[in-house]
Amino acid sequence: MLKVNQLMTAGALALGALVSSVHAEDTVKVGVLHSLSGTMAISETSLRDVLLFTFDEINAKGGVLGKKIEPVVVDGASNWPLFAEKAKQLLEQDKVSVTFGCWTSVSRKSVLPVYEKNNGLLFYPVQYEGQEESQNVFYTAEAVNQQATPAIDYLLKQGYTKFYLIGTDYVYPQTTNLVLLEYLLSKGVALENIGGGFKKDDSGKIISAGKYTPFGHTDYQQIVAEIKQFAAGGKTAVVSTLNGDTNVPFFKEYAAAGLTAETAPVVSFSISEDEFRGLPAKQLVGQLGCWTYFQSIKSPANKEFVKNFKAWLKTTNVPGIVKEGRVTCSPMVLSYDGVYLWKAAVEKAGSFDVDKVRAALKSGLSFDGPGGKVTSQPNMHMTKNVFIGETTAKGQFKILEEFKDVYGEPWLLGKFKSK
Amino acid sequence: MRSLTRFIFITLFGLLAFGCAFATESPRAIITAAILAKDQAHKLELIGSLVGESDEAIKPLLMAWKEDGLFVCKASDDAPPLPVILTGDKDANDAQAALRVDNGQPLLDAVGKPVRLVAGDLTSVEHDAELRHAMKNVLDLLDLATPDIIKRIQAIQAVGFSQDVEKIPALEKRLSLEKNSAARKSLLEALAVTRLKASDAEKLSAFNELKDLHSLSSYDLIRTAMREEEKAGKPELAEAGLHALKAIDLHKTKINVFGTLFRGLSLGSILLIVAIGLAITFGLMGVINMAHGEMIAVGAYTTYLVENIFGTGITIPFFGFSLPIPGIHATGWFYQTYFLVALPLSFLAAALVGIALERSIIRFLYRRPLESLLATWGVSLLLQQALKLMFGSNNVQVSSPIYLSGNWTIDDITFGWNRIFVIGFAGLIVFGVWLILTKTPLGLLIRSVMQNRNMASCMGVRTERVNMLTFGLGSGLAGLAGAFISQIGNVGPSLGQNYIVDCFMTVVVGGVGNLAGTIYSALGIGLVDQSLQQILLNPVLGKILVLVAIILFLQWKPSGLFVTRSRNLDD
Repeated sequence: MLKVNQLMTAGALALGALVSSVHAEDTVKVGVLHSLSGTMAISETSLRDVLLFTFDEINAKGGVLGKKIEPVVVDGASNWPLFAEKAKQLLEQDKVSVTFGCWTSVSRKSVLPVYEKNNGLLFYPVQYEGQEESQNVFYTAEAVNQQATPAIDYLLKQGYTKFYLIGTDYVYPQTTNLVLLEYLLSKGVALENIGGGFKKDDSGKIISAGKYTPFGHTDYQQIVAEIKQFAAGGKTAVVSTLNGDTNVPFFKEYAAAGLTAETAPVVSFSISEDEFRGLPAKQLVGQLGCWTYFQSIKSPANKEFVKNFKAWLKTTNVPGIVKEGRVTCSPMVLSYDGVYLWKAAVEKAGSFDVDKVRAALKSGLSFDGPGGKVTSQPNMHMTKNVFIGETTAKGQFKILEEFKDVYGEPWLLGKFKSK
Repeated sequence: MRSLTRFIFITLFGLLAFGCAFATESPRAIITAAILAKDQAHKLELIGSLVGESDEAIKPLLMAWKEDGLFVCKASDDAPPLPVILTGDKDANDAQAALRVDNGQPLLDAVGKPVRLVAGDLTSVEHDAELRHAMKNVLDLLDLATPDIIKRIQAIQAVGFSQDVEKIPALEKRLSLEKNSAARKSLLEALAVTRLKASDAEKLSAFNELKDLHSLSSYDLIRTAMREEEKAGKPELAEAGLHALKAIDLHKTKINVFGTLFRGLSLGSILLIVAIGLAITFGLMGVINMAHGEMIAVGAYTTYLVENIFGTGITIPFFGFSLPIPGIHATGWFYQTYFLVALPLSFLAAALVGIALERSIIRFLYRRPLESLLATWGVSLLLQQALKLMFGSNNVQVSSPIYLSGNWTIDDITFGWNRIFVIGFAGLIVFGVWLILTKTPLGLLIRSVMQNRNMASCMGVRTERVNMLTFGLGSGLAGLAGAFISQIGNVGPSLGQNYIVDCFMTVVVGGVGNLAGTIYSALGIGLVDQSLQQILLNPVLGKILVLVAIILFLQWKPSGLFVTRSRNLDD
């Protein structure tokens, strides 16, 4: 009896192998390159989750060009050289057609040579500083003019006259604040009304604007005291590119000094719904955020997206996926949009060949995503809607203003001329 | 002639009628209309029409609107919607009395009985930044007389910033009634800064007045006014402006000096409370305790647990089981006391973990400090993973109680309550540790065992037990530090890693084995760090310079500030 059972099991296994080998011919390999461990894992695992969800959604509807998507998930482990190695593995061993991945600018910069050498294609979904336009990266990410400058426009419209720039010390905040400095000057804001301090090179050219603190900084007493003095003299807004958990000591100190969203609001570019899972949302009520997607968007497409994602979370059996208290946020939706744009490009090109797919992307393809219509541009960026929102006690955003169809522009340094 | 009289009569009558019609639009009716208006522009217009009204009803209604306290309900399905405000105490069903916004009377049901409603069942009236801005305009003038002193000053400043000469009479009237000195100062500033837009003679006196007031908030406006006078070719006015600016700059320097001293003291106090536990386990006992940071984290998570128990309860997944802990749903002041309850519990929790650690691992390693370093480092990784398994790898939110989230401002220097608390708290801890070590029998035993374990043992001291209690005390103190740190920063599994380096630095600079040294080095490092930050205006550079200074200092005095001398050959 036992033998019969074993025989049947073996037969079933062989059959399974046969089926899966047949199956394998009908699949297309797609790389997922995010940090699933290390400091960035908190943010990046959400993107892995939403990508797997998107692949399942597409596969359920017949896949891409009749082929099912077969994800190859690798872990960059918050280790930048490892990102490059993993990218090499994806392109040279697994021969993936496309990769979705990277969060930090430094991880993108370290995989860039690998993609350029192997002529691969990477979809990059997180707000970044611009000044880059590779033919092997499609930036679904927010460029500076799709997040930071619209926020300034909104604040100027609300009558704010003084701006304090503060950020974490790395390439994204530094570059963004330099662009913002030029932008504010071009809007007629005087240099003395821009706070945080400047660093100049020998010729007197400003090479760094704003106040910077390292990752994991905990003591914001002096900076908040400085902001308080700066804000005493007029309608002031704080423009923050502080990253991750430094926001907690900053906002606690801010509140303790008696500064509120009504006296001097903070607009943060690095806090999305996903980050609120670890922040005291109650102390941030009324502070502003600016992204190309909010979970609170009241469109049928978004409701459907959020509902489907949550339903998928319940049924999925991928190990390590957190199922409770999940939210959707801009980088997640930009990952989702990226997959569908790639699908549209492949279908238009009729091929998975990177050169043909790139040409199709450059021709301007559209997808109606959860955040509204997005369109690919010839410069490998994406036109999308931009939203300004204020934080609610539940860690969501209430939408205050919407900018329609903003064209993604990576080269902004030196673009805005002061009056 | 007759027709003219008639014309005048009709006109007057018309005006009167118009006036009546306008008067019937009471503020309550206007607010009701604004709530029900569909169109944003119309809402703004209606709210704007309230500016200058002095009706007492306006303020509570607009405030309630801003704070999600207004609701729209319907008496029946086909009745028109009716805005209401919920007031009074909640009854057993959480229901409150509902007052109609349009007339302030209780909302009645079909048989004329007052209706009670539950806030949670209703949707509150929406508002956004634009509407709140419009409401703010209305409230500003009302607020010049608002009882809350902070809001009153904010309102006065807002009027001052607008530099609207027409508001001078209102400000002067308010000044004659105002009794609070801070509000009087704000009113004087607002008046002076507004008079910078008036005649030349007034400008001069306004500049001088602002100089005497050391008005920080007027700095930018004075600068602008000064430049305008320069351009207009009025050097005496420009000079008066310059003098005012210089006086304010001097005042700023004073604020920064005292502010820096206070901030240095508070940073030093934080270093002290995180390091004093280590000064005992490392300094006195000689255990290189890399898990000290995790004891801090245990204290912080205990505070988080207590906060949740006072609130709605929490479920902890525990190695596959989930352990639900019910909450006691405290509200108001009782809820705010959670932190005071959390303090002793944090001490106990961390002390227990410390004792368990001592019993299971460290007691085998007293004579092998390098092995204790490796072992405790391993324990620290274990504890971090345990915290991750129990509370998730994300940071958790701990909200600060009211009495730790305000500040006192004296002569423009801000003294945050949490900072005052930590300074006092550090003082208390030091005093407590001093009491335990010098005035109790346990302290005597601790000191004897730490001086010479073998000799103490020969004299009949149960050294094992004393070691355990000492390590527990050191760990408990780290837990207390954790409870406080949850109020100023992140609570996450890697919390301890952020502080462990600071802890060792403080203890080593102070001199290993010397508690007083730890106190001096903590306060010293805090003050130097804050002063460098203030001078360089750069937090990164400040921290680097402090570290460099410490390296140089240890080259000069390798045993730290205070050297513990002994005749022991081992030392």
